[in-house]
Amino acid sequence: MILAKLALGFASTMVFATVYTFREGTIRIDVDDHRDGGSHVHFWVPAAAVPMAMHFVPKEHLREASSHASEFLPLVQIVTKELRRYPNTTFVEVEDGADHVRVSTVGTKLQIDVVNPEENVHIAVPLSTVNDVAAQLANSAPGI
Amino acid sequence: MRFQTLRLTGPALLSLAALLAVPAGIFAQTSSTSSSSSSDRWLHVRVISTENKGETVRVNVPLEMAEKVLPAINKDRLHNGKVKFDDHQMDGVDLKVLLDAVRSSKDGEYVTVQGTDSDVRVAKQGGYMFVHVTEKTPSSAKDGKAIEKSRVEVKVPMKVVDALFSAGKDELDIVAALRALSAHGDTELVSVKSDDNTVRVWLDSKNVSD
Repeated sequence: MILAKLALGFASTMVFATVYTFREGTIRIDVDDHRDGGSHVHFWVPAAAVPMAMHFVPKEHLREASSHASEFLPLVQIVTKELRRYPNTTFVEVEDGADHVRVSTVGTKLQIDVVNPEENVHIAVPLSTVNDVAAQLANSAPGI
Repeated sequence: MRFQTLRLTGPALLSLAALLAVPAGIFAQTSSTSSSSSSDRWLHVRVISTENKGETVRVNVPLEMAEKVLPAINKDRLHNGKVKFDDHQMDGVDLKVLLDAVRSSKDGEYVTVQGTDSDVRVAKQGGYMFVHVTEKTPSSAKDGKAIEKSRVEVKVPMKVVDALFSAGKDELDIVAALRALSAHGDTELVSVKSDDNTVRVWLDSKNVSD
């Protein structure tokens, strides 16, 4: 009986941990290099892991990154907040022969697609993650 | 009894977890969709170049978003949604006085130039300001007809022009102009047609280019 309780406790903890981790969605990065010997990188990480991982980044590195990006951080926060109001929208699309670049929102994710004969790159990042990272960087600014 | 409770707790916890997980995605999307109302005004830019491989650029920007984002950009001459320009760039022309003169004048054609290489027309009509420039190749001796090289047509609501110059003497208030623009119906603002490029800037309530 105790074992069953322990198993249930462990299982529910795992379920809640998984749910919490994936609640914010996932960051997806796909890179397909079509050239000879080209690499194919496909990975996705739970978006919630990024702000958590940032807690482990040494403070001085965060401060340095923040000082470089401080000019743009408020802008990033406003843009990501506003983009959430326009799901499934293409904002920029460039077609140049076989090259195709698209910046769009898919649901609550910001998606960037670059397709050309040499390589395909697809990046999808939840807007909330971009906002969280920008907020954390802003909080790490020197003097705060 | 205890065992039964335990048996029920597992699925209950899983259901709760699933419920917690699903709405984050769905509700976020639903609320976003509903907040992007049909009354949103969109500024579209489309550039089609026939040079080389043929390039097409499409940009779709919701005016409301532009109104909120622009004041956050403070770089070079752009500050708080306003662009500063120097007096010397205007060659001594006082734009405000010029604009006041246009605003208080009746509808009509203000400038009409018909040259051998270009035609220019500036007019005010029905609350809009029109600027048309046609560039042509000089007429050949044979047929005497000029061939059109490029045509630029700009149509701006006067209220937008007013809003644009509503800031200081040497400033253009872009945010005020966007706000004034959002009150207008579907409008074709800029159209450029040349041998190599076609540019179109227009305003409507669709979030996609045609």
